Amino acid sequence: MTVTSALEVHSISFGYNGGKLLKEISLSATAGELIALIGPNGSGKTTLLKIILGLLPPSSGEVTLLGQPLATYHPRTRAKAIAYVSQQPALSFPLTVRELVSLGRYPHGGRGAESTADTLSIAGALERTAAKDLTDRRFNSLSGGEKQKVLIARALAQSAQVILLDEPTLHLDLQFQLQILSALKRLCLDEGITVITVLHDVNLASLFADRALLLSRGELRGFGPVAEVMDEKSIKDLLGVDMKAIAGETAGTRYFVPRQPFSR
Amino acid sequence: MYRLLPAAVFAVILIGLSIGPVPISFLQLSATDKAILFNLRLPRVLSAFLVGGGLALAGAIFQGLFRNPIADSYLLGVSSGASLGAAAAIVFKIASPLASFAAVSVFAFGGSVAALALVFYFAHRQGGFSVFRLLLSGLGVGLFLSSLVAIFMLMAGEELKALIFFFLGGFSSSSWDTTWVSLGCIPLAGLIACYFAPELNVLLLGEETAQSSGVRTGRIQLIFAILAALLTSISVAVAGLIGFVGLIVPHMIRLIFGADHRTLFPLTFFSGGMFLVLCDAAARTVMAPAELPVGIVTSLVGVPIFLYLIRNETGDLG
Repeated sequence: MTVTSALEVHSISFGYNGGKLLKEISLSATAGELIALIGPNGSGKTTLLKIILGLLPPSSGEVTLLGQPLATYHPRTRAKAIAYVSQQPALSFPLTVRELVSLGRYPHGGRGAESTADTLSIAGALERTAAKDLTDRRFNSLSGGEKQKVLIARALAQSAQVILLDEPTLHLDLQFQLQILSALKRLCLDEGITVITVLHDVNLASLFADRALLLSRGELRGFGPVAEVMDEKSIKDLLGVDMKAIAGETAGTRYFVPRQPFSR
Repeated sequence: MYRLLPAAVFAVILIGLSIGPVPISFLQLSATDKAILFNLRLPRVLSAFLVGGGLALAGAIFQGLFRNPIADSYLLGVSSGASLGAAAAIVFKIASPLASFAAVSVFAFGGSVAALALVFYFAHRQGGFSVFRLLLSGLGVGLFLSSLVAIFMLMAGEELKALIFFFLGGFSSSSWDTTWVSLGCIPLAGLIACYFAPELNVLLLGEETAQSSGVRTGRIQLIFAILAALLTSISVAVAGLIGFVGLIVPHMIRLIFGADHRTLFPLTFFSGGMFLVLCDAAARTVMAPAELPVGIVTSLVGVPIFLYLIRNETGDLG
């Protein structure tokens, strides 16, 4: 079986006025893979996402998306290949869930009436994120977790093969955190979609991700299978937190528990 | 519902045409009646309709552009910029308002673009615009430009009369000369706005999400900023300062028909037109034979609604 490469990042650097926000970052992602991006605040995670999306041009290095250099894509064509779920936007207008998800179809036409493909794609996206019941609700009336499902559904409606997410579990209660990541994992396993997501919670990363990319001050501190990259030492180095790793029920999984959160 | 729209527009225009000091029977038109209808009332009603539609649409565009339900040409100081430009054209005798309406419009456009650029500069922070900063910037820019207008009035000399006449505003001096310009520009701007409505819809989710969906955000924002400035400046050049049409009309339409700009824009345009024709009819009748400036009527209706919106705004007013 050949492993298809969805995304290749070749030694990307980025910086303003000499200060480097990212230094020589390389990574690759294959179809159906879930990659967790882990690092403290200000480590360059969001900048890296923006470069992979083509929203920021790197100072040096190159990104290849589905075998084609990212810089050569037309914006709409690129949007059909890679989609983005940003941190939750504040929406001041009364859009319904369906209207919001249908915005994901913009790169596929945008003007004129909704096509059959649009209708199917919107319904499918709502179905796969278990957001079908919310279809006619106003987006602003939803809870944080429901909003996140709808935002992911919008990205799915784009029919992209790679989806990038910036902290999709932020401000969600534990039940929704697990629901969101389970839904993403299902997309990877069932449909071969590549998911790259920023995660703050090392346990969620350990449970759901195939590979982890550790980023600190713009430098790559490790990229590989979760079980190899994430251990007590690497987490201490990366996040400055002393954690104990406990073997999980399935082989290879590990739970991380903070040691001595405070001293009396 | 949509089928009722042409009928409603037609009815409102008939109401506008039937009001005036000389009673006119539409069934038996004399030659004088025809002259009054065609040379006086029709340009007046058409101007009011186009300006009302233009201001309402400009408000809807600003609200979409700033992702904020509380924004319009008047509150953002863009109208003040347009009046400063128009005043400059009149005081420096580049044009007298009736002789060269087009020149006044061009200067008004320059003024509104400059005002908008200032508000953008002061209100923008990384991540967008907060209502708070936007309203304060608009207020500040508007007050500053209005004091410049006051200085122009002191400098005006023999042009003072023309200037005062211009700032009283309203549609009492509407003629075909001014109506042709608005008839050419305002519907065209409306059509362009409708064409780019899908892009503005995607932009509601934020600039990054829009860019990642394939929208060229900078270009789209520039197009809409120019359209809104154009609509504002022509409206100001025709009828002076008229506030709150751009605030309340899009808001009402959004409450009833939703926030999709593809339907919001046309409905807002026609409703704003009807609203201002009716306000102008009221301005002509409530104190007849004297005429109220139509801006006073829109403020009397608009300010209570505006305050109500602020009181009930549950979204992020931060």
